[in-house]
Amino acid sequence: MPILTRGAFAQADTAKMYKTGSWRIQKPYHQHFSAPCHNACLAGEDAQAWLAYFSEGHIQKAWETLVSVNPLPGVSGRVCHHPCETACNRGQYDEALAIHHIERYLGEQAIQHGWNYPLLSQTRHVEKIAIIGAGPAGLSAAYHLKQRGYKVDIFDNLPVAGGLLQIALPPYRLPRNALQAEIERILALGIDFQAQKQLGRDFSLEELHPQYAAIFLAIGRQNSREWQVDGVIPHHLQNGLDMLKEWIALGKLDIPDRLAVIGGGNTAIDLARILRRAGAKEVHLITHQAHPDSSENDMMNAIPREIIQAEEEGVQLHTQRGIQRLLLRGEQVIGVEMTRMQTMQHADGRSERVSFRGTETVLHVDQVVPAIGQQLDLKALEHLSTTVEGMPVTVHGQTDQPHIFAGGDMCLRSSGTVSGAIGDGYRAAIAIHHTLQNTPLPHPTQTTTITVEQLNLHYYESSPRLHTATLTVEERCKNDASAEVETGFNDEQAKKEATRCLSCGNCMACDNCWTFCPDSAILKTQENASNSSHYVFDYDYCKGCGLCKTECPCGFIIMQDEA
Amino acid sequence: MTEVSIPIEQLRQQQPRYQGISPGHRACLGCGQALAARLVTEASGPDIMIANATGCLEIFTTPWPESAWKVPWMHSLFENTGAIASGIEAALKAQGKSSKVIAMGGDGGTFDIGFQALSGMLERDHNILYICYDNEAYMNTGVQRSGSTPHAAMTNTSPPGKARMGKRHLKKDIISIIASHHIPYAATASVAYPSDIRKKVRRAMHIEGPTFLQIHAPCPLGWGHDGSQSIAIARLAVETGLFPVIELERGALANVMPIRNIQPVTAYLKAQQRFRHLFKKADQRVKEELAHLQALADHNIEVYGLQSDHTDKLDTRGAALVHRRGKHWA
Repeated sequence: MPILTRGAFAQADTAKMYKTGSWRIQKPYHQHFSAPCHNACLAGEDAQAWLAYFSEGHIQKAWETLVSVNPLPGVSGRVCHHPCETACNRGQYDEALAIHHIERYLGEQAIQHGWNYPLLSQTRHVEKIAIIGAGPAGLSAAYHLKQRGYKVDIFDNLPVAGGLLQIALPPYRLPRNALQAEIERILALGIDFQAQKQLGRDFSLEELHPQYAAIFLAIGRQNSREWQVDGVIPHHLQNGLDMLKEWIALGKLDIPDRLAVIGGGNTAIDLARILRRAGAKEVHLITHQAHPDSSENDMMNAIPREIIQAEEEGVQLHTQRGIQRLLLRGEQVIGVEMTRMQTMQHADGRSERVSFRGTETVLHVDQVVPAIGQQLDLKALEHLSTTVEGMPVTVHGQTDQPHIFAGGDMCLRSSGTVSGAIGDGYRAAIAIHHTLQNTPLPHPTQTTTITVEQLNLHYYESSPRLHTATLTVEERCKNDASAEVETGFNDEQAKKEATRCLSCGNCMACDNCWTFCPDSAILKTQENASNSSHYVFDYDYCKGCGLCKTECPCGFIIMQDEA
Repeated sequence: MTEVSIPIEQLRQQQPRYQGISPGHRACLGCGQALAARLVTEASGPDIMIANATGCLEIFTTPWPESAWKVPWMHSLFENTGAIASGIEAALKAQGKSSKVIAMGGDGGTFDIGFQALSGMLERDHNILYICYDNEAYMNTGVQRSGSTPHAAMTNTSPPGKARMGKRHLKKDIISIIASHHIPYAATASVAYPSDIRKKVRRAMHIEGPTFLQIHAPCPLGWGHDGSQSIAIARLAVETGLFPVIELERGALANVMPIRNIQPVTAYLKAQQRFRHLFKKADQRVKEELAHLQALADHNIEVYGLQSDHTDKLDTRGAALVHRRGKHWA
């Protein structure tokens, strides 16, 4: 430092000797919050993370990130009710991102280009795992265990893998080539699929145990819930799920002209739609629950999109209706008597369905088909504590026996969805891995979800959600009853839609903080930052003004009091 | 918490954009002027010489015996920045050197005290870019009104009381006065739009002759807002129409930044303590003042045609949009 004459001159760039960071009383730091799509996903996907890769043009990397959690994106992209989109912060700005369409697009790209699953671990373990049930839960668990280095055998009573996806999901929602390609890719990892092996008939849990270090049960629900009206059960009563399976297997059904489907879930909607395709002139759907368009709390469980398409196809919905009486001629059903019903909330929080006297109407139908859900078949589960309403398990799928885990529809806590089953398989696989390696189970903590108020929406352009074409009603019901109703995104649409992601709670490297810092106390560093951010704070000079926090579009910066 | 694998000083050397001011300067938290000055040097590059009028910028960048400048820089008096810059430019010309001379001053040094030297500089056709950092009062000496202070704003020399509601007079229309010198390029900009500032500086750098850029820069201390809100408030000044962002070539209006969603002036005023007397109680005087300020904004929108017809992608909204990996900055 040269000796300077007062007021004469100063050496350039010497103010840095003074560390303005000492002025600071609040300090900015990077905080990753979970995007709402992440915390809402039943399969455990972090959509925000793979959308980030996608919108940067790294399509395969996006798919690899996605399948590191969910190995069946082509399936879930089509059949999931996408709670991610319901939760999407963008929905409070203009319209939620079409996440499921981009997921489906990635699934299709992977098949088209023959991408292989990324190798998640080099370790190999000696333990063998048995998986019973090759539905989405079983396949997901098999995939995650195989990827973690275990030997995996899957047993299923069907000749093919896929479970309900294969036998109960109508092909117009899930084309079989898309399903088959993803199943085969999982099995090709070196998983031994033992077809037509039924638990309780061909083997028991006790027989498996010595050979296998752990067992994952995902057998679904085999028995139909009993249905009757005031003690009356119609003659030749057919179960909804069975009829659905029959149509999918044979492509036709022997049905009368007019039918009433009872139930408000996805099976009921699927059944009503295939009845129209199978030639029924009138299809009525009767449910206690309310239409998704209403503001009632007790809404139909089916995917709203599917309900709309069912109505387009001529299915007549009778929501908030109960069946009071069956009209019989001899033993033959000729109609039903319905009343209006409503779910009433009591002051103590209890809710009750109330039917209103004086609202009775008669509906003439030739057949009534209940599709009101399934129950667990307790055969071969004698040594486990469970009821027909489902097996109680922990969030990790643990049962009351340390080496047996369970997931999917058979569990009491099941959401009854495909993505829920995929997530169950994923979580149980992680739990099995930690149990076998004697390491503590990861705590099921979720990062705090970021709200729309934490974002700076000023920096995002308003743009409408992209929609894809659906087949016309004629094309759906007249021509090819199996044709997929919804078309997917093309390259351009997928890319455009992905750029609509707000990147909630995660840095998108927009340079706002770097550009706006009046003290040059934010440095850009792509390669050197270790926390997924592209910037570091230079706390020697940061005065703690908080401008970076205010102007961060993604809510990735928070201010903390200095100790 | 973020960790870096190389020393932070080394990282600073590797930053992808040149900056002519380094940290360690003593500007207040969230200073709009410190940001604006840095953005100017980002676009000008290092081959410049600066004449800097007395004011905040001069004070906080050169706490003796240090300097935050990385470029040749000279302190001028309040009243003679235009003259000093003219002298530097003439000396460089005599030596056959081509460094661009940039004169910098606050609104006090530009609108009021240094105005005649500036006018002379423009008239003599010097090859100089004059930057006015407009924070609408004499902030360095403790917030006294200047010719730039907007109507109804409270400063230490325009206190609201029984007789008046803050500053009685209007903000001087400096850009029209400058434009009347028929210089090649005169423009206004706001710290809320960094790309716009950099583009305008680059444009001025390429023009042989006098150019002028007025940058609206919030002062958290003088305006009475939190430092974290500087950009949000600067943006509101533009979106209300109170600070029009325009370009003039040879005195004629050449371009404006259209406003996509015009905001009511109260959104801007409410956010600042210097206008708090307009929100204490809703008497007749207050109503009239607010209506007056709204009329001033409406007038700007009308005379400059600021209402967006959605054809300009870089309107007030479009110019702010972010993209992944910063693929949008000029």
